Amino acid sequence: MQGLETFYEVMRRQGITRRSFLKYCSLTAAALGLGPEFVPQIAHAMETKPRTPVLWLHGLECTCCSESFIRSAHPLAKDVVLSMISLDYDDTLMASAGHQAEAILHEVMEKYKGNYILAVEGNPPLNEDGMFCIIGGKPFIDQLRMVAKDAKAVISWGSCASHGCVQAARPNPTRATPVHEVITDKPIIKVPGCPPIAEVMTGVITYMLTFDRIPELDRQGRPKMFYSQRIHDKCYRRPHFDAGQFVEAFDDEGARKGYCLYKVGCKGPTTYNACSTTRWNEGTSFPIQAGHGCIGCSEDGFWDKGSWYARLTDLHNAGFGIEANADKIGLTAAATVGGAVAVHAAVSALKRAQHKGDVGHQGDAK
Amino acid sequence: MSERSPADATTRLVVGPFNRVEGDLEVRLEARQGRVEAAYVSSPLFRGFERILEGRDPRDALVIAPRICGICSVSQSHAAALALAGVQGLEPTQNGRTATNLIVATENVADHLMHFHVFFMPDFARGIYADRPWFAKAEARFKAAQGTSVRRALETRTTLLHILGLLAGRWPHTLAIQPGGVTRGADARDQMRLLATLGAVRRALEDHLFGAKLERVAALASVEEIEQWRANGPEGDFRLFLEIAADLDLGRLGRAYDRYFSYGAYPGMEAPLYARGTFTAEGPGAIDTGAITEDHTNARMEGRSRPHHPFEGSTLPDPDDEEGYTWCKAPRLGGVPFEAGAVARQMVDGQPLIRDIVARSGGSVLARVAARLVETARTLIAMEGWVRELRPGEQWCAQGTMPSRGRAAGLTEAARGALGHWLKVENGRIASYQIIAPTTWNFSPRDAAGVPGPLEAALVGAPIRQGETTPVAVQHIVRSFDPCMVCTVH
Repeated sequence: MQGLETFYEVMRRQGITRRSFLKYCSLTAAALGLGPEFVPQIAHAMETKPRTPVLWLHGLECTCCSESFIRSAHPLAKDVVLSMISLDYDDTLMASAGHQAEAILHEVMEKYKGNYILAVEGNPPLNEDGMFCIIGGKPFIDQLRMVAKDAKAVISWGSCASHGCVQAARPNPTRATPVHEVITDKPIIKVPGCPPIAEVMTGVITYMLTFDRIPELDRQGRPKMFYSQRIHDKCYRRPHFDAGQFVEAFDDEGARKGYCLYKVGCKGPTTYNACSTTRWNEGTSFPIQAGHGCIGCSEDGFWDKGSWYARLTDLHNAGFGIEANADKIGLTAAATVGGAVAVHAAVSALKRAQHKGDVGHQGDAK
Repeated sequence: MSERSPADATTRLVVGPFNRVEGDLEVRLEARQGRVEAAYVSSPLFRGFERILEGRDPRDALVIAPRICGICSVSQSHAAALALAGVQGLEPTQNGRTATNLIVATENVADHLMHFHVFFMPDFARGIYADRPWFAKAEARFKAAQGTSVRRALETRTTLLHILGLLAGRWPHTLAIQPGGVTRGADARDQMRLLATLGAVRRALEDHLFGAKLERVAALASVEEIEQWRANGPEGDFRLFLEIAADLDLGRLGRAYDRYFSYGAYPGMEAPLYARGTFTAEGPGAIDTGAITEDHTNARMEGRSRPHHPFEGSTLPDPDDEEGYTWCKAPRLGGVPFEAGAVARQMVDGQPLIRDIVARSGGSVLARVAARLVETARTLIAMEGWVRELRPGEQWCAQGTMPSRGRAAGLTEAARGALGHWLKVENGRIASYQIIAPTTWNFSPRDAAGVPGPLEAALVGAPIRQGETTPVAVQHIVRSFDPCMVCTVH
């Protein structure tokens, strides 16, 4: 590895032109919700700052986060981000193998001590001294602790790293444990979702690399720019919810008319994520658009809150046809999924504090 | 990590962790005089999905089972839906079946593209091959994460996955496949978008991967034809692969048992697109799923006294087991190991080129990779037909009721081969859920009789060059199976 390169130098070396570079800067600004005046600032930062390496570790997981990540919407943004990352360590995509890869990992850790970002996909299982996830002959938990020790910050990709996810579902046979419960002395950015949306992942990592700081987080440690709204708040089927028009079974008359999926188990009202705005697979769609309710995969504990397909029969169609009642319905939804109620209430309270007078959040501001 | 010893003595080598495979894998090799004499394949990751599923509402398998794997999630969801449909005695609607075929095929083709471009070919861009005549091309196109073909394939794959966005809401971890069909019917506008997407993918593959019409690839029928393709066929990555395969003799590398099976892929009105059955030295045969068993002798699992049919199976990890060397059980059909995958599907279905390759020099790295490419072409052609078969406005999902008691198997074909879910329902809850994934078959450990699994057999004889600690031939053989380690143990 040569001296400390800047991001721009790395990109040049990867064959990215000046024109593409500037385009990337404006895309980044747009993705992060910043105005065009930030473009020169981003460009300047990329040209002058030494690149921050990202080390991407895989624990107990299913690789869905990586799969989501590598097909983010703009190929250029993906190329750039990927070229920054693949230079370092990611065992699904990188070129080198085995011990050579281990050597690179150690080299980066040494050279960029205290200055690299650790991205974790999956989580460590703690039962039986960690032997349910062995990486290079050693428990993953050891590798995680070792790499986290000198990291500047940790990104917990996906629900496994952030919350535990289905592998931590009862009876949690391996005691799969979220990252923040074992790494307690580093800033941790949680990017939950099973998997998270590609654009959310690239957005978070780009923000951190570009501005060299952690995005503003909510009380649960999630970046506010992507996790401050419920799926329900921006769902295109919301008018049907408000009008009391519901799907009762997949493929019934209501399903054909695109009614609300709440009664067939949709968790949109209690789930904070960007699916209904950013959507999936390059903005093509999201689960609700394909006629299936949201399963709440970015919420803590979504795996142990009763069946996803349990019909919500305690609702009466008449009686909540207006916006003002949305919060009541939201809370009913939360109650049916048990533990979520406290979280929902807490986050609603937090949002009330943040968005005083924000007309877009009438339901919460009530 | 090798113990060096006198030239003719046995050398032990641990290869792993592997990159560019899905999940974690470790292979222990015993080598002598530059050849592998014995291999032991270890899957070092265990999560316990089968245990997690027990006691839940059976329908929740549709959410939990796909999360076994972010790569094969659609196949897992299809197997779960089939098992649930079996318990309910429910037949999917015709529209639902066609849409499901499209959804499953999209993932399988996407996986084949990922395997060839991102996992398999980059090994030929390694410095160790710098003296080969094809190296410059291989390096420019397939250097990991940077080669022109790698990048282009990722873009093509992203385009292809719009189909899953459109029909299934998102990918990975799609939710649309249900026991009675799918949650979303396609309208005429969707049909046009689907055809446009498939058209774009077809163009990309015809321009760069094959340099020829998909139909021409699908119709390949003999070894002579691919030899001709290599000598003066259209320029493309397929031809480059044939060139490399000939130079490195990949047709003689990595032979296992030449015993194949498939549950049959993409059900149709009368027959599936790819036939169900077995293919062995005796030729084609029917598959008796009652003769499937799992042996725990070398898996760190309780239940070692005898092999079990998956309906009688269990998943109780035994970390104190010192003899077991993997979390992977050893599935057997009629007591012997079988290979699953695209090569198995094409062998069982009787695709003439693949049958010819295997007949002449056995199932090899070449046979496995060629089968995947031929299958990619065949499947894409079929997908275009399915889009036209969709009937907008007609029923897409049938409704059933879950009995309080019952059992059924959901059998489908993932990109990597035969995938089965065996579900037992009692008192309206999941009483038992056993999963056998394709890589469980291919990367199985030895059974009670000491018979190695297919990869373990395929690695015997692999050359190890002087001083190699991660022998490149071993890497080719391992990756030729396109292993999915997270599915293997689940």
